[in-house]
Amino acid sequence: MTCKTAIGAILGLSIFAAAAAQPASAAGLTIGYSDWPGWVAWQVAIDKGWLKEAGLDVTFEWFDYSASMDALTAGKIDADLMTNGDTLVTGAGGGKAIMIMLTDYSSGNDMIVAKPGIKSLKELKGKKIGIEVGLVEHLLLLDGLKKAGMAEKDVTLVNAKTNETPQVLASGQVDGIGAWQPVSGQAMKGVPGSRPVYTSAEAPGLIYDVLAVRPASLSSHKAEWMKVIQIWDRVVHYINDPKTQPDALKIMSARVGLTPETYKPLLKGTHLIDIAEAKKTFKKAEGLKSLYGSSSIADEFNVANAVYKEHQDINSYIDPSYTEGQK
Amino acid sequence: MKRKGWFQVLRPLSPRARLTLGTLSFVLPIVIWCIVSYVPAVWHPQVRITDAGSTDYLQVDMRMDKAAFADAVKEAEDAQKDPPKGVPSNPIYLPAPHEVAEALYTAFITPPPTPDSPWLHQSLWHSIQVILWGFVISSIIGVPLGIICGTYAAFARLSEPFIEFFRYLPAPAFGALAVAILGIYDGPKITIIVIGTLFQQVLIIANTTRKLDVALVEAALTLGTKKLKLLTRVVIPGILPDLYRDQRILLGWAWTYLIVAELIGTSTGITWFITQQARYQHFANVYAAITMIGIIGLGTDIALALIGKRLFPWDRTLVKEA
Repeated sequence: MTCKTAIGAILGLSIFAAAAAQPASAAGLTIGYSDWPGWVAWQVAIDKGWLKEAGLDVTFEWFDYSASMDALTAGKIDADLMTNGDTLVTGAGGGKAIMIMLTDYSSGNDMIVAKPGIKSLKELKGKKIGIEVGLVEHLLLLDGLKKAGMAEKDVTLVNAKTNETPQVLASGQVDGIGAWQPVSGQAMKGVPGSRPVYTSAEAPGLIYDVLAVRPASLSSHKAEWMKVIQIWDRVVHYINDPKTQPDALKIMSARVGLTPETYKPLLKGTHLIDIAEAKKTFKKAEGLKSLYGSSSIADEFNVANAVYKEHQDINSYIDPSYTEGQK
Repeated sequence: MKRKGWFQVLRPLSPRARLTLGTLSFVLPIVIWCIVSYVPAVWHPQVRITDAGSTDYLQVDMRMDKAAFADAVKEAEDAQKDPPKGVPSNPIYLPAPHEVAEALYTAFITPPPTPDSPWLHQSLWHSIQVILWGFVISSIIGVPLGIICGTYAAFARLSEPFIEFFRYLPAPAFGALAVAILGIYDGPKITIIVIGTLFQQVLIIANTTRKLDVALVEAALTLGTKKLKLLTRVVIPGILPDLYRDQRILLGWAWTYLIVAELIGTSTGITWFITQQARYQHFANVYAAITMIGIIGLGTDIALALIGKRLFPWDRTLVKEA
């Protein structure tokens, strides 16, 4: 008897465990988001119930940024909020997703910070810079060096994790670092007198942030994705309108555990893109004004730094019809 | 009690000495922490700005090295300007005890920032559930397998070399794989804990089983016990107290995998709280969360030790320990 009860208990437990392991993620769409102002902005739509209002069954799941890309590659979420460069990286790694809308571009949040006494990128010539090689800050540095009439060989790169760059700068063993907010802000706080010598505000469009959707979900839920883009337009206007901005800041800062005042500068370094502006950015062109131009620069960079081997076909990663189809 | 009484080799301590020393083991680190935090002469390598004075690059509450601060003061004084003011302080990563205590309290009473996010106690409960399921699933497989391996050398030889190999593979390395197979919720997290615990569990329990007094088995065989009964009536009851203690240690082992497990898939549980607070350098909250995990872990272990004392009154080592 006892033996039977024990077996029964074990079976019951394992079934229960299996059930606990897979909470309901029914027919709705799942979007991964993480800690970046242009993505935290979606919290406004979530908290205000705008998605439900539009009759959408969309769940936003909060991830660590790299974990969100893993989940997309594994096909466990329908879409992820990423940078255009990283969309190419995950695509080259087998997790292809299509960019259907833009959330923002970095406008100051990404920066090269130099230690006290150095006031321009030119003065970093021959110096050491702590940077995560192959990531967006590296791309930003190359862009800045080019504008300053230098090349990568004019500086020495010290490979460092972006999250650790504040300590790297404080150690005094490098003359500058590359990082994004809030890490870059902390680096400057830790070494008073240090200042940004080049920021993404001087290269708008170098790093676009996008909503990238898996092709299968895109083809079977076309109408829903159209509606999602519509809601984004509402979010952008709610955040940019001075009357409603305090409320938006309250919602966004709460999501990441900050106060609205401390969050404001982070939002300022992010240029949110509404539908009208996105339509222009989705036009094919060279250069950073177009998502195509920006992505092919990212592609060049990724191949040059052996992030992946083969050039990606940019056109196959971008579908402008969803944004263009908006009224 | 004479002082000398504390240093007798392999002799148990008196209950009073045990209590005193046990309390001291917690009090001492806290006292050291207090001294480092509240006595500026001990460490305080930085200066926290209280008034930026005439400088344009300093802000209130910014911390900087003493030498750099001295330079800033001198610079301002040389220029006949208002010098910045500040008080000695520790680096931001070492908050004072009262700050951590305060953070511990406020973390629990602060309502969740957004309606869809959990309270702290809900996050903690989520983490505890992940641990428990990981441990239960690992035990369902690991305990019987360990006992069989310990009892029959043939089984041990068949499975242990592979397990020895597998236990060296770092559990977190299976993260992306677990997400690909089990999704983004609790499945992959529980899996990481199982992978981290199971293989050690089999080996430890097999070893415990091997330590069973051979005389017991021989006596049972002499009395004509059959094979299966030998296992259920002699081996298992014989190792039960040790098995229980092994499980206690392994449960602690499972806890150490929690943080890496919860970084996989969606951000949940106490790890979400810790990583988010660390990102914005709210280290008092980070220490508070680490303290919570410590209290839960130690609390569970003490409870299990007391239960063990009840369950196995004949076991000497347990009595000595609790």
